[in-house]
Amino acid sequence: MDFSESFRQNFIQDDRWKYLANGLRTTLIITVFAVIIGLFLGFIVAIIRATYLRTKKMLIPDLFCRLYLTVIRGTPVVVQLLIIYFVIFGSVNISKTVVAIFAFGINSGAYVAEIVRGGIMSIDVGQLEAGRSLGLNYRQTMVHIIMPQAVKNVLPALCNECIVLLKETSVAGYIAIDDLTRGGDIIRGITFAPFLPLIAVALIYLFVVILLTKLVGVLERRLAANDRR
Amino acid sequence: MKMNRLFAGFSMLALSAVMLTGCGGPPPNPVHSVDDLKGKHIGVQLGTTGDTLASDLEDTNVEKYNKAADAVQALKQGKIDAVIVDLETANAFVDKNDDIMVLDEEFADEEYAIAVNLENEELRDELNGALQALTEDGTLPLIKANYEGDEKGQHPYEIKTGISRPKGILTMATNAEFPPYESYDGKLIVGFDVDMMNAVCDYLGYELKIDDMQFNSVLPAVQSGKADVGVAGLSVTPDREKNVLFTDNYAVTHQVIVVRRK
Repeated sequence: MDFSESFRQNFIQDDRWKYLANGLRTTLIITVFAVIIGLFLGFIVAIIRATYLRTKKMLIPDLFCRLYLTVIRGTPVVVQLLIIYFVIFGSVNISKTVVAIFAFGINSGAYVAEIVRGGIMSIDVGQLEAGRSLGLNYRQTMVHIIMPQAVKNVLPALCNECIVLLKETSVAGYIAIDDLTRGGDIIRGITFAPFLPLIAVALIYLFVVILLTKLVGVLERRLAANDRR
Repeated sequence: MKMNRLFAGFSMLALSAVMLTGCGGPPPNPVHSVDDLKGKHIGVQLGTTGDTLASDLEDTNVEKYNKAADAVQALKQGKIDAVIVDLETANAFVDKNDDIMVLDEEFADEEYAIAVNLENEELRDELNGALQALTEDGTLPLIKANYEGDEKGQHPYEIKTGISRPKGILTMATNAEFPPYESYDGKLIVGFDVDMMNAVCDYLGYELKIDDMQFNSVLPAVQSGKADVGVAGLSVTPDREKNVLFTDNYAVTHQVIVVRRK
């Protein structure tokens, strides 16, 4: 079978490209919302952790945060996904996409938390003291002095985490979500030709990641505009 | 402290999510015949004939799981309304789960056969010869009797020892999620297909090596030469015949609908 014939069989016939298009849409929906949840959770956990480490306040929340980090970072995301789908939401009929968004969001939150905490801790403690001695309270110092610098420092690592998350959603097929990877699997299941569907799926992921990297690059340049040169 | 209260709220939320697990049963079974499948959520195992069949039905939502067992689990929890799967596999699941049953209606017959690489007609003919000889001398019928009917478990196949295996290793690609044809028993993969292939290898002088993989990967493994044969309760379909050679069939079965009992 030559290339054009194989291409026709894998993508054109019976509109099979739609498996990939719909899969990409699902993958993007899951990724975008999971990133939002992940950032939200991650920032909260990071601030609690950093506050405890710097001021020794909030011991109990810090304990919970450490438990969360240990459990989530200590178990594979597929297992978490299956537990959330079959155990936690076992008898509730809830959209699988929502389940996946929660699972990947909660998972990502743990990694984001440690990235952001690293960013906060990288800002010299002298800045915190300076802010406090200028009459700002702890919250104001965090919001206006520490966080803007911390976020800028961790942006590349956060971008990295988004990329990882995007690719991690490829296991969503375990709970019968037709994501991009699964779209390719379905085509493979029909045509039994492994080459083209897999290459196509890989190229689409690659394209999305390149796009994402470019966007973050633009953001970084804008944020660097007021840096010393 | 404010943050403390916020955190208490979060833990309550997490706790209530966990408690959702315990409450409420699955909804009543809405499927009583093939016609009821319209508009329902049907679970299948990705790439199986049940998948093809369900995808061909009109107005249905087909949910493709990696494992038939996952589809059955989702059915029990009320996430889907029916599962389409091979008869023997369905029976194996029903045996272990009181809350599901098989509908009497059956889809068309289908035949299981061994898949070999398109270019390997020699191996296909060899296997056909072995299957025929083993059927005639009663070995295969005895293996079959070990897995279905009244004498279940009474005729386990014993691999012959002390015979020479001059032809080397025969790699069999399978998906050990498919009782009674192949499934794990402890560390071992057991089942009808395994016993049959052991008998075939004993007869032909091969040494059997079993490679467990996703069902969806079994045929590609045979096509790419990573495995010599694919034996995974593979039904012969025109689409598959374009990509692999099939031996004579060794079992005839049908797809059935599994639903909740209540």
